[in-house]
Amino acid sequence: MVTNGKSGSFSGEAWLKGLQRPVHIAPLVMFRILFGLMMFASMVRFWMKGWITELYVKPSFYFPYPGFEWVRPLGETGMHLLFALIALSALLVALGLFYRVAITLFFLTFTYVELIDSTNYLNHYYFISLVSFLLIWLPANRYFSLDVRLNPEIRQEIVPRWIVGVFRLQLGMVYIFAGIAKLNPDWLLEALPLKIWLPAKSHLPIIGNLMYEAWVAYLFSWFGAIYDLFIVFFLLNRKTRPVAYGFVLLFHLATAIFFPGIGMFPYVMIVSSLVFFHAGFHQKIIAFLSGLTGRSLAAPSYTSKQQHFKPYLPVLLGIYFLLQAAIPFRYLLYPGHLFWNEEGFRFSWRVMLMEKSGNTFFYVKEPSTGKTYEVSNSKFLTPLQEKMMSTQPDMILQYAHFLAETYAQRGIKDPEVYVECFVALNGERSRLFVDKTVNLAKQSLGWNHYNWVLPYRQPE
Amino acid sequence: MKLSGRKLMTAWLTAITLLVTACKENNNSQVVPETGFDKTAMLTNYADSLIIPAYSGMQQQLQVLEPAVNAFLANPTAANQQVLKPVFKDAYLQFQRIAVYQLGPAETVMLNNFLNMFPANTATIENNISRGSYDLTGNLSVDQQGFPALDYLLFSPDAVQQLNDPNSANRKKYVQDLMTRMKSLTGTVLTEWNNSYRAQFIGNTKADVGSPLGFMINRFAFEMDQLKGPRIGWPFGKQSGGIVFADKCEAYYSGISRDLAVENLSSLKKAYMGGNGSGIDDYLVALKKEQLNTDVLNQFDLTINKLKAIPDPLSASFTNNPAQVDAAYREIQTLLTLLKTDVASATGVRITYQDSDGD
Repeated sequence: MVTNGKSGSFSGEAWLKGLQRPVHIAPLVMFRILFGLMMFASMVRFWMKGWITELYVKPSFYFPYPGFEWVRPLGETGMHLLFALIALSALLVALGLFYRVAITLFFLTFTYVELIDSTNYLNHYYFISLVSFLLIWLPANRYFSLDVRLNPEIRQEIVPRWIVGVFRLQLGMVYIFAGIAKLNPDWLLEALPLKIWLPAKSHLPIIGNLMYEAWVAYLFSWFGAIYDLFIVFFLLNRKTRPVAYGFVLLFHLATAIFFPGIGMFPYVMIVSSLVFFHAGFHQKIIAFLSGLTGRSLAAPSYTSKQQHFKPYLPVLLGIYFLLQAAIPFRYLLYPGHLFWNEEGFRFSWRVMLMEKSGNTFFYVKEPSTGKTYEVSNSKFLTPLQEKMMSTQPDMILQYAHFLAETYAQRGIKDPEVYVECFVALNGERSRLFVDKTVNLAKQSLGWNHYNWVLPYRQPE
Repeated sequence: MKLSGRKLMTAWLTAITLLVTACKENNNSQVVPETGFDKTAMLTNYADSLIIPAYSGMQQQLQVLEPAVNAFLANPTAANQQVLKPVFKDAYLQFQRIAVYQLGPAETVMLNNFLNMFPANTATIENNISRGSYDLTGNLSVDQQGFPALDYLLFSPDAVQQLNDPNSANRKKYVQDLMTRMKSLTGTVLTEWNNSYRAQFIGNTKADVGSPLGFMINRFAFEMDQLKGPRIGWPFGKQSGGIVFADKCEAYYSGISRDLAVENLSSLKKAYMGGNGSGIDDYLVALKKEQLNTDVLNQFDLTINKLKAIPDPLSASFTNNPAQVDAAYREIQTLLTLLKTDVASATGVRITYQDSDGD
């Protein structure tokens, strides 16, 4: 958009130059520390709540991601060890000790856990995987770290601006895509799903009674959309930054109060958004922390030498961000209603966008005898898995294939699997979701459009 | 510029602190809403008009049942068995009226599991009796006690003969121990409700996992799953390619399964409506879901009538009147979908019996 015309080439050049401008590394270093600490706390919380066993030991069946069927849970001890490893590597990242190994280990182990079961997909887990991947390639341990204490040679205070910009861009994309996702008729014109969710929050003091008011739902919906779309620009601007960060706090604390179920997400965003502050702000914090540790890890033994980054790094990051920009739009390749079919829904920053629930009745038929066996889902799935599966076509199909396999092992010949599935979207009445005459055992998993999902119909 | 930025920052932080502390501190102030819906009044109605009376009813029924059981044990004739049966049935019917309220103290002691895990494990029960030693408090013992065990011990075809056996002391003591256990569990729950849980229940107007409202709607779904599965579908052979397992149904030996199922669903309807007071139905109307509410109420009535149309005993109808059973089964499925999907969705309640993060 800035390449045509005289001023275009000028500003494009200036922009590229601006990316190379030397800046202090402090924002990146603070980001590393806060990210590590927050991840450590998250892992402890996950462990304390007993979710490791609940989500990764108890289930007898897991919903893998295509291509990652080899990612399996590691058993009770194995999973706990894996989480201990994640927590340990997070702590090492925060301390900046054996940083490159620690952050790589963190990325691999954390992502491994997330790949076990798509039941547990959350946008902010995806965000954590992405951020840790990016951190592998960046020199976040070159300042105020134990690595620097062990090996002062690696110390580096000045980096080209784009190194810090990577996280601003990543965070900006999260916000903006979350905002774009809200630009749909349900959200803007009907204030859905907030109109459904807010009355469930009438217990809140003072504002509780307002939760039944339609205008409040509209206010929240529009404020949320505008916030997501534009907050980044106000965070980037030095003059508006303090106010903008105030909005970040207000917005995410409000979501934490209204929707405690979203867990760590608000805190991840609150802490991550600090990366928009300029180096001076972070240097002050680092100076303060240095005072606390009594060690002048950050004392200016200034080196002006600029580290030369491997030439592949900008290329790698370029490809990465192109993919990041494209993935949320892949849903355009599919026919049908995005919220209904959910083809291209995940990995797109669609956060708290719809109220969807469903229930499923699976039937296994043996063609040779004509016998029908109705399936009790609770025999194979946890309540959470059943809930997630009931509204997501790919999971319905994976489960159907699992049932075909399981019943075949039990001696049913060529089992056919049918489902009667009812789904309610955004407070509408439930409707049949899947063609109940289609034998799902014969339908293949893949990236193609699932035409056995009945098309979405507008409510009467 | 810098100064004003800092000032603004301070103002923001103050505003947010106020917001957070306001939310933390004013949890006790209960203001009756001018618009919307008074959840506290609804929960008070549930506690005072439905739940606590249902548990005291259960306690009273057990107090009537115990002497009747003892009289039969003292003189176990077929005639006395017939005298006992309506008393037993009344108590079992009363259980159906508490079944949907397994939350709070009932959830803590797993009341439903200990009172009504069917089918009873008759082999283990016989083992317990012949050994003369058993622990009825462990979680594994749920199917060795409660109504299903009484049903077997008092009304199985050879119950009278067994109880007349000169060596039946252990058997009689086992029955009495079951009665004691049922009374004590029910008493614990009732006491808890009367002492502290009532205030906790009506004071929590949240709708998240574990809140009274969230719990109740989850229980509707759960009870409907029970009706569809263990009460009717499984013994009817829905999971077994049509092979009927009549003896796996509720109250198989006393043959009162149909009436229990009808009472279960009628109680569910009553719970949905909050009896004559404020209930989930009124909440749906306040949320402008009148049509859904009407449909749910109609579907309750339709399903109850289809259940009533099945000739008792249910266990025989599985083979003799499959068409009627199937008709009821289909309506149960429709009602289940309405409650589990439409009502849950309209009220913003998650149907999941476990806690987790989401977004």
